[in-house]
Amino acid sequence: MDAFSAVLQGLPMTLMLTASAFAIGIVGAVPLAVGLSSSNIVVRLACRLFVDLVRGVPIIVWLFLLKFGIQIGTFKFDPVSAAIVGLGVVSVAYLAEIYRGGLEAVPRGQGEASGALGLSRGTTFLHVMVPQAFRIVSPSIATYLTGLLKDSSIASTIIVAEMVFQSQSFARQHPTMEGILPYVLVGILYIALSLPVAYLSRSLDARMRKAVYV
Amino acid sequence: MTLSEIANGKVAPRTGIRLDNISKQYGSNIVIDDVSLHVEPGTVTALIGPSGAGKSTFLRCINLLERPDAGTIQVAGHTIEPGKVINAKDLAALRSTVGMVFQSFNLFPHMSALKNVSFPQQKVLGRSKSEADDRAMQLLERVGLKDKANQHPGRCSGGQQQRIAIARALALDPSIMLFDEPTSALDPEVGLEVLAVMRELADDGMTMIVVTHEMQFARDVSDTLVVMADCKIIEQGDPRAIMSDPQEARTRRFLRAVLER
Repeated sequence: MDAFSAVLQGLPMTLMLTASAFAIGIVGAVPLAVGLSSSNIVVRLACRLFVDLVRGVPIIVWLFLLKFGIQIGTFKFDPVSAAIVGLGVVSVAYLAEIYRGGLEAVPRGQGEASGALGLSRGTTFLHVMVPQAFRIVSPSIATYLTGLLKDSSIASTIIVAEMVFQSQSFARQHPTMEGILPYVLVGILYIALSLPVAYLSRSLDARMRKAVYV
Repeated sequence: MTLSEIANGKVAPRTGIRLDNISKQYGSNIVIDDVSLHVEPGTVTALIGPSGAGKSTFLRCINLLERPDAGTIQVAGHTIEPGKVINAKDLAALRSTVGMVFQSFNLFPHMSALKNVSFPQQKVLGRSKSEADDRAMQLLERVGLKDKANQHPGRCSGGQQQRIAIARALALDPSIMLFDEPTSALDPEVGLEVLAVMRELADDGMTMIVVTHEMQFARDVSDTLVVMADCKIIEQGDPRAIMSDPQEARTRRFLRAVLER
């Protein structure tokens, strides 16, 4: 088997890990972001503690803890689930912080105007704050997604057969110069995967700017 | 039809508002010191005074954007004591009676002019989309901006944005309108468009409270001139009388500064 097909074998797993963790993060971060800006100090502190705890520990440590540190009865995480949960929870924390920043960047007058008009808090959040916050944070979300794509390679350390894991096993079987080849290829693949995300985010951002502010 | 007739579908219900002993402080910093103001139905009250006098804060206390620490607000048969727990029904009644226009317009930038005026009607009054859109178009036409209906606020000048904001507030059938320095962010020429709409609204008999630095508007349009300084009302009465013969030294000093500019 040549180096390129070896690396490609890991591609579906890399995409699956990234997509699953991102999906968990995008959805799970919403309530957490609301909690981070809650007026209830207990809720706010609890959410803040969670975010800082999750972000304060390297992803590789979380993955090891989930994979090797958790046993409830006979239940243990298999490597793929541990990677999805670990990367997913980390995404929740990072994206919640991004969302919170976006919500806070919406001018104060928007909430005041909504209140003066008599719009409910739910309506104000959903129809006034979120659409504006989304425009503000969409570039940061895209940046996070490309970061997550690369961070998914950390799952190779708990034996998840994604691209870097496949590169390593190919390299181990070919301890010659050829062994370096899959790492070059995998690097190029990560770049190739990141480009469309960056491009999409830029065109989305430009389109929304045009719709909103021009 | 007049502006407020369009806004209300019929003749505007004339409502006044009574504010008694309103006080507000941030920490130990007093911003409103025991201020009372009674506004008769269908009258225009101009609120003037130096910066930091508490004019805007007082205005924002009227619809509880700022929560006063003490006092009572009586409007449309509801008595609200902001120092105590306010029930949701009273707050909703207050907000639906009182419309507000801000210095910085505060239009929703992600919605077209039409949607800015139509969307709150659907959410607050439960109007159907077509009914709300119709009303919104009527009001936009009345403020001279029918052709801007499908533009986003970012494509409109400041004066146009402020007129859209007035239409947005009127669309909810308020019987009292608050204006917080509505022309201060506009250049003088553009401000005139906005003042013209406000004059028309006053002529229609809308009850209005206007925080402003536009002395000519205050003199010509308002029925009562209220001068605030140092967190209190120091003088109030007939605008021409106060402007030509102020009783308080502080009023005199302020008017001289504004009029002799």
